Amino acid sequence: MAHATKDLSALARTDEEVLVQGGLTFHDITELVAQHTEKKTPKAWWAAFSVAFLGMLTLVAMLAYQVWNGVGVWGNNIPVGWGWPIVNFVFWVGIGHAGTLISAILFLFRQRWRTSINRAAEAMTIFAVICALIFPTFHVGRVWAIYWTLPIPNQMEMWPQFKSPLLWDVFAVSSYFIVSLVFWYVGLIPDLATLRDRAALMGRRLRAKILGFFALGWCGANRHWRNYEKVYMLLAGLATPLVLSVHSVVSFDFAVSIIPGWHTTIFPPYFVAGAIFSGFAMVVTLMVIARKAYGLENVITIDHLEKMNIIMLVTGTMVGFAYITEFFIAWYSGVPYEQYAFINRATGPYAWAYWIMMSCNLIFPQFFWIKKLRRNIPFMFVASIVVNIGMWFERFVITITSLHRDYLPSSWDYFVPTWVDVLTLIGSFGLFFTLFLLFLRFVPMVAIAEVKGVLPEADPHFYETHGDGHGRPATVQVNRGRSS
Amino acid sequence: MIELPVVNPDGAETPGSGKRLWRSTADLRRDPEWVKLAHDEFMPGAAEPPSGTSRRQFLQIMGASMALAGLTACRRPVEKILPYVRQPEEIIPGIPLYYATAMPFRGSVRPLLVESHEGRPTKIEGNPEHPLSRGATGVFEQASLLNLYDPDRSQQVLRNGEPASWGDFVQFARTLAAEAGSKRLAVLCEPSSSPTLAALRRELERRYARVHWVTYRPEGDDNEALGLQQAFGRPVRARYRFSEARVIVSLDADFLGPTDRNFVENTREFAASRRMERPEDEISRLYVIESTYTVTGGMADHRLRLRAGDIPAFAAALAAELGLGELREAGARFAGHPYVVEIARDLRAAGARGVVLAGETQPSAVHALCAVINDLLGSLGRTVILHQLDELATPQHVALAELVQAMQAGAVDALLLLNVNPVYDAPAALGFAEALAQVPEVIHLGLHVDETARRSTWHLPSTHYLEAWGDGRAYDGTLSVIQPLIAPLYEAAHSPLEVLALLATGEEQSGYDLVRNTWRRLLAGRGAFEQAWQRVLHDGFLPDSAYPTVSLRPRRQALTDWPQMSEGGLEVVFRLDPTVLDGSFANNAWAQELPDPITKIVWDNVAILSPKTAEALGVKAEYHKGVYIADVIELSLDGRAVELPVWVLPGHPDDSITVYLGYGREITSTRPERKTPFFDLDDYTDIYGHGAIATGVGVNVAPLRRPDNTWVAYGAQVRKTGRTYKIVTTQDHGSMVGRPLVRMATVEEFRKNPDFAKEAEPPLEGLEPWEQYPTLWEEAHPRKQPAFQDSDYYRNQWAMVIDLNACTGCNACIVACDSENNIPMVGKSEVGRGREMHWLRIDRYFVSDEAHADDPQLVVQPVPCMHCENAPCESVCPVAATVHSPDGLNEMVYNRCIGTRYCSNNCPYKVRRFNWFNWVKTLPIQVQMAQNPDVTMRFRGVMEKCTYCVQRIREAQRQANIEKRPLRDGEVKTACQQACPAEAITFGDLNDPSSAVVKQRQNARRYEMLAALNVKPRTSYLARVTNPNPRLLEKEPVA
Repeated sequence: MAHATKDLSALARTDEEVLVQGGLTFHDITELVAQHTEKKTPKAWWAAFSVAFLGMLTLVAMLAYQVWNGVGVWGNNIPVGWGWPIVNFVFWVGIGHAGTLISAILFLFRQRWRTSINRAAEAMTIFAVICALIFPTFHVGRVWAIYWTLPIPNQMEMWPQFKSPLLWDVFAVSSYFIVSLVFWYVGLIPDLATLRDRAALMGRRLRAKILGFFALGWCGANRHWRNYEKVYMLLAGLATPLVLSVHSVVSFDFAVSIIPGWHTTIFPPYFVAGAIFSGFAMVVTLMVIARKAYGLENVITIDHLEKMNIIMLVTGTMVGFAYITEFFIAWYSGVPYEQYAFINRATGPYAWAYWIMMSCNLIFPQFFWIKKLRRNIPFMFVASIVVNIGMWFERFVITITSLHRDYLPSSWDYFVPTWVDVLTLIGSFGLFFTLFLLFLRFVPMVAIAEVKGVLPEADPHFYETHGDGHGRPATVQVNRGRSS
Repeated sequence: MIELPVVNPDGAETPGSGKRLWRSTADLRRDPEWVKLAHDEFMPGAAEPPSGTSRRQFLQIMGASMALAGLTACRRPVEKILPYVRQPEEIIPGIPLYYATAMPFRGSVRPLLVESHEGRPTKIEGNPEHPLSRGATGVFEQASLLNLYDPDRSQQVLRNGEPASWGDFVQFARTLAAEAGSKRLAVLCEPSSSPTLAALRRELERRYARVHWVTYRPEGDDNEALGLQQAFGRPVRARYRFSEARVIVSLDADFLGPTDRNFVENTREFAASRRMERPEDEISRLYVIESTYTVTGGMADHRLRLRAGDIPAFAAALAAELGLGELREAGARFAGHPYVVEIARDLRAAGARGVVLAGETQPSAVHALCAVINDLLGSLGRTVILHQLDELATPQHVALAELVQAMQAGAVDALLLLNVNPVYDAPAALGFAEALAQVPEVIHLGLHVDETARRSTWHLPSTHYLEAWGDGRAYDGTLSVIQPLIAPLYEAAHSPLEVLALLATGEEQSGYDLVRNTWRRLLAGRGAFEQAWQRVLHDGFLPDSAYPTVSLRPRRQALTDWPQMSEGGLEVVFRLDPTVLDGSFANNAWAQELPDPITKIVWDNVAILSPKTAEALGVKAEYHKGVYIADVIELSLDGRAVELPVWVLPGHPDDSITVYLGYGREITSTRPERKTPFFDLDDYTDIYGHGAIATGVGVNVAPLRRPDNTWVAYGAQVRKTGRTYKIVTTQDHGSMVGRPLVRMATVEEFRKNPDFAKEAEPPLEGLEPWEQYPTLWEEAHPRKQPAFQDSDYYRNQWAMVIDLNACTGCNACIVACDSENNIPMVGKSEVGRGREMHWLRIDRYFVSDEAHADDPQLVVQPVPCMHCENAPCESVCPVAATVHSPDGLNEMVYNRCIGTRYCSNNCPYKVRRFNWFNWVKTLPIQVQMAQNPDVTMRFRGVMEKCTYCVQRIREAQRQANIEKRPLRDGEVKTACQQACPAEAITFGDLNDPSSAVVKQRQNARRYEMLAALNVKPRTSYLARVTNPNPRLLEKEPVA
């Protein structure tokens, strides 16, 4: 029986690509996704969560240690005023790009394959932005006065300085965070209602109540769906420019300055490409594990992963092109300071970081030209991690190698991270995975309603041709084999 | 209290209120139904009194919330301070007073004017009226303030190491003085020019059976005094008028170095000879033949590196070339050397405007030879002024050896050590420490419980010179009174004069009386004593009291006893440290964190080698991640060894090692070690938290010295220990990598192209010149700019010009800035992490071509904040914490700063400094007293930087406002400018076309560093112009 269904679903869309494999029905999808939030917490989850939570506690301890003693516990110095915290900030903001890109931009471009990964990717975005926000906040010398960067009316009539790119950052990242969060939540409403209804059927009243609160009274009415679709579309429209703006603005932190290696107009597109690159790498890392661990291979298929790998190949090559362009411009500009900055990158004391960046970001993704490797799960898992290491080093190279040798050789110095730097970075991963594991446990990790929308049965014409009008295929018996 | 009638709200019936009133019979009956009806007649709550919250409850809640609201404002505990009950005359809180005084320094005094806030000396400045100082100071005068507030100063009399009282010592001194006729007393003290001390010495000699008086300086014999005495046959002191000189030849004389005894005058005079207003101006030519790189060598037009032991032969060759035939043989090694030939030719041409002088490392014969050469040139009396001294110079090492012998022989009943530390710094071979045990009573007076104090039977805390009365003579002999600014911080502290007087007479006498008694004699014939005395105290010196100048001819026969110096093997040259001197500044954080002017090393001493010698010995000091990892060598002489890290310095002569005195001190501190919980780094950030700061810093090299205490020793052995040591510098890179930072030209090049400095800016091809970029101030004089014109402050536009021809890089400005601006000191490991806090730094670069990498030229460039008109730091601050003032200052608002450090990142000069930790939280109470109350202490997490001494600007502006007059040019002096003995820094108002700074900016040599960035710096530089000998340049093309 199951065999037959599989074939039928394939038959239904010979003209389109197969987005969900295994011939899953609506109900199968609901079951597949919802059960993970309902069943008893698996031991493996507890194991993973304890590790992640320990990491988060480390982060809290490190931040407390830093606030108690001062920014000096990090390796920053003069001239390297920004060290690992800013590297981490840009890194995490970059990771936070893929989610909204997948949900918003791909939604607007009607890339239906996004449905199976958008929920998790969006969650990843939100958690990554939370991790990112920690760094600029705690990296200032006086964290208790950080709210002065917000335009809060006060009796001193003292406003933030609107010329500063850091202020633009405050606006860009916080609005990105808010819009992403709202977008994610709105997308969640139908699924939360599904869970609520299932909880009610299971007799878990408290659970039903909590879910009911968050489901905002959703009952799947036509009007609900109509409003929902509109809101979702509008939010997607709103989020799309933000995806591009947030990392452009982050790049202004560097580009607006006058430091050789920072002062360059190529940064906004280069940063956005890099952010998408690292964001997709992170989605691949997470999805490869999650689909296996939660048995979602049919929903998050190898085709999805391959598509993401293609995007990594494209964006990786784009950033690689940007790296080379920077060198060209440095040479072409004729400015000796600029030229020195780039020669120093490739050959100076931080050359190792530069070449890690080059090989991880430009050279390694080129393997994805090979289709076999694109569809090879262990390979793409390694590749996605390599890419994120490379992207962390890209920010390291930009931030630290540009600062450590600027105009006056007398002030040149070297940056050495401290154990606090290292543990804070590790701790931020702890926070990220803590949040992500909580998400996997309590929230449907795949957009149930949206995936159902791309099933063959969801096609309005499906029932006329193949069904009995009740969601059941009419020609169950037919077995024509899988078309390809 | 007034009782107010209370209306009973529950019923109309008030007992005894008379007839009962009723509205209906039901009311009269109090029918319950009616009552309810009547009650509900109005809106609920309208008829009943508020019963939920009573007035009492309301007040309780309000009271509680007020109290709790107070909690939200919880801050540090309130510490009340009281204003003066009776305000002392002259003192207005917040308005500093200035007193003239003087600081004893290597046998003479340096005249000072000290700023005092509410009775607390906070800043040392030179005495502007004094002919030697003219307001300028050196590193040590500036840093000496912190010696006063040294938290490790000795506070208690010690008897055999046990606490005792001053009374106990007085008792002891009385018995000693009573038996004076039978006692043999020895006194070891610093050379002093104090007339009061001399009088007390005579008094002691009169009373005691025998007084063995030895003066002692750790660095060794005063070869200059000995040499001049040898040449002229009587004690003579030479001063040099470099401003008149055309050719100056230094034979290892670091006369521009901060340790030189006449440093301030020498520097001012030399800088005057290098000033160039116009290309056609003549400047002097400086030849330096020296044994290590010094600031003097850095100023040289031609510098020849020679081992200290080879320099006498060079001097002899030069003398022979100049016609002193008797030295032809001694100088044979250097006969025909291009430097000898050309220097001689130049000197002959300069005649009386040529000066030759020798350094302290050179034997007395070389000093005598210099006198002969100067005589030959005719410069004696013209560019070399001779003063006659009253006391014969004796070789100190002989006197010291005699003393040690007497001590060993038991011929000393009591030894008095006045502010000397021979156990630490006398040559170990002399056996001073061992001989000390043979003396029954050793009385040590000193600022610290130091190496000698611990071996003495009595230790007495000494006063600092700012705490006690004293007197002395400046280098030229001008008499000064050392006027105390503050009562001794510690009750037990006494001055050397007081101790000597006590030992002489058995009576306690105050320093004030002792000094006044002497001065009654000195002021005789100058009118009424009180008036003359007041005058001296006010002026800080007695005019026309200099040593008499004499016109003498040196005796040529002085040269017959020519030393055979150059021995084989490695030589070791001992020098006074340019930051901690002989160790007396070792417990001074300003001195320890002051980078060495040449190596830029802080908090350490090293064995300095040339690259070639280092290679031959197989040792290196490698740059590694922001610090230097140096090999540690065992340096031994005559079987005694010390272990020192090496430092490879280009420009150092081969086969020679330079070591600095003054490190490896062991001072007993009474303060508890700071121990904090694991999460608190206060014990790490507090440089004062681990005992005396000098303890454990560097290595004492005195044990290596030979008993003759000469500055140079031969035949050193070096062994690699295989260990390495971390050396920390404030500047890791010494090359300008081809960037036009310090711009230089020779006189000829300058005359050919007066615009060389401006043209050095890299051109931007295809674009308009950077001068044409739009800027805030379109014209040189921003008077016409509409911006800010309504502001009172607008009428001044501040700017600074630094003349690189005058600046020697002596460091005086850095310490002056530290003192004026409360700069926190952060310690070695934090400097190693690139977190030094100096607002003003002196960049030092080596310049040479590939072929002469071992013979580089050295250039220095002081870098304060440039106060850019288009300041890149300002536009990037998200909270507007760094802003531009209407008078053109780039201001830092500490209160507003949240510490993003973006401003520092965007500063192309990297002059901003960040408070990585709370440096001031753990400052000992004494050090807190050294802080300038006019300057905010900075909290952790905020950025800070040079302010152009805004507190001084505002003070001057206030004063001008009070007096209703415009500010005069020169009225505002920044701390660095004021300290600078070279007068290299000009500061003033661009709006005043006649101001000195505007004139300096019209100098053709003027340029702005990194001007192409269009940041429009307000700090300009005057490019350095050297005056090399063209003939020598042909022979040896090194500048």
